Amino acid sequence: MAKLRPTLAFLRALVATNLRASLALRGAFLLQAGLMILNNLAFFAFWGILFGRFREIGGWKLPDMVTLYGVVACGYGLAVAILGGTRNLARAIADGQLDPLLVQPKPVLVQAVASASTASGWGDVVTGVGMLWVAGKLQPESLPFVIVAVAVSGLVFSASAVVVQSLAFWAGDVAELARQLWNWTLNFSLYPRPLFAGGISFLLYTILPAGFVGFVPVDLVREPSLAQLALAVGACVGWCALAFAVFQAGLRRYESGNSFGTRPS
Amino acid sequence: MSAPAKYLALAGVGARRALGERAALVGYCVFLGSVLFIFARVWKLIGVASPLPGVGPRELVWYLALAEWAVLSAPMVYLAVEADVRSGDIACRLVRPVPYVGAQIAEALGEAAVRLLALGPSAFLFAWFFAGGLPADPRGLLLAPPLALLGSLLWVLSLVLIGLSAFWIVDTSPVYWIWQKLGFVLGGLLFPLELYPEWLQRVARFTPFPNLCWAAGRSAFGFAPVEACALFAQGVGWATLLGLALYALARRARARLVVNGG
Repeated sequence: MAKLRPTLAFLRALVATNLRASLALRGAFLLQAGLMILNNLAFFAFWGILFGRFREIGGWKLPDMVTLYGVVACGYGLAVAILGGTRNLARAIADGQLDPLLVQPKPVLVQAVASASTASGWGDVVTGVGMLWVAGKLQPESLPFVIVAVAVSGLVFSASAVVVQSLAFWAGDVAELARQLWNWTLNFSLYPRPLFAGGISFLLYTILPAGFVGFVPVDLVREPSLAQLALAVGACVGWCALAFAVFQAGLRRYESGNSFGTRPS
Repeated sequence: MSAPAKYLALAGVGARRALGERAALVGYCVFLGSVLFIFARVWKLIGVASPLPGVGPRELVWYLALAEWAVLSAPMVYLAVEADVRSGDIACRLVRPVPYVGAQIAEALGEAAVRLLALGPSAFLFAWFFAGGLPADPRGLLLAPPLALLGSLLWVLSLVLIGLSAFWIVDTSPVYWIWQKLGFVLGGLLFPLELYPEWLQRVARFTPFPNLCWAAGRSAFGFAPVEACALFAQGVGWATLLGLALYALARRARARLVVNGG
């Protein structure tokens, strides 16, 4: 724990710096975040229309769908806003761009994933909070579960992306594969759970962990219980540990890009 | 070299580029399969007769396959235009013997043609597999290719228009997101407009979006050549309007480029 505290303080400082950098271009920041909110609402309109017509899909009703979108949008938004470097990790590894991070005293993975931020992620966060409010999940009694659910969703999403992107240590440029898996994980986590049964569920809790990004955190918010909490937190810890282990194993094979340059900050 | 031959050569360049990106083509096929799988499950779970006469879960899966076919075939040409504007390469491309916008459209249509050919059989097989057979009146499927082709053309024209907006707003992605989502919702990508509330159907009909997805998709509901011809004519009308808008915007963009010195 004593070792973890300075790393968390460093992470906090990185997030604050990223936020300040985003806000420095206030107009662009607000435009990107605002348009992302519109984008999310336009996409959600599909479900509004479908549930307006058919009322329920496999036992799920519109409030359940709103909750799912709320949790996943918040989790994903925080993931890309705070750990925005995850998306381009494979390219950074393949191009040898980790060199400057290796000589820093802080963990390479933390630096690599937290040193970039996507401004539109804050738009996702605002959409998610709005949807959770509409679904009535921001009450004092449910709020702690919502916070845990959002954290689990975002962390599992980032951790699974780190695992896939770290394959670049062994397989070279896997950016396209990583991009596809990134999109599929997000896409599958935004559909009602009852749609997936049998073999496909296995896939959604392993290779594409949409189950832990969407279904498990949402179940924690819909029907909070200690068992759900243990499952969500356990999955999150497991995925984070796996991501760290795979990245560290890969880092031992890392080859420098031998490129000269400067790195801001 | 005549003008049509130049554009044909450019379309060939686009087609070869699409053929070279085999991983992306496979990715689109897999994506199409996964969407059809999910919505086949949606219609199965809803488990009620569709409010449209003669249209059941099977036809709705085929509808989605055809609508997605048109949409997925259109390349993201706005990114290429935006990159040319941001890097300043557009200044070099303007001196070529083919108008810049025309060249972009020709290349994008070449890519779209390859994707239509590659995704067509995938859409057919996935739809047949997940729907559990052909739609009730499979003759309607014969009307889908020209409507899907026109849908792709409309996507391409609108995306070039969005790309040209980089002259004013630099990052065009947010505009694309909004256009894409409007296209999906008002175009009836995932399910037909007939399932929408009446007021939203009326709004959609005043936009080009139904010609992007819905027109091709509803070929799954039966053989209606007169209606298909009317939709095709409407699509041609929208393509003309988009073409005029492109012409006007390209002229303004060119003037702006000269003023700024490239």
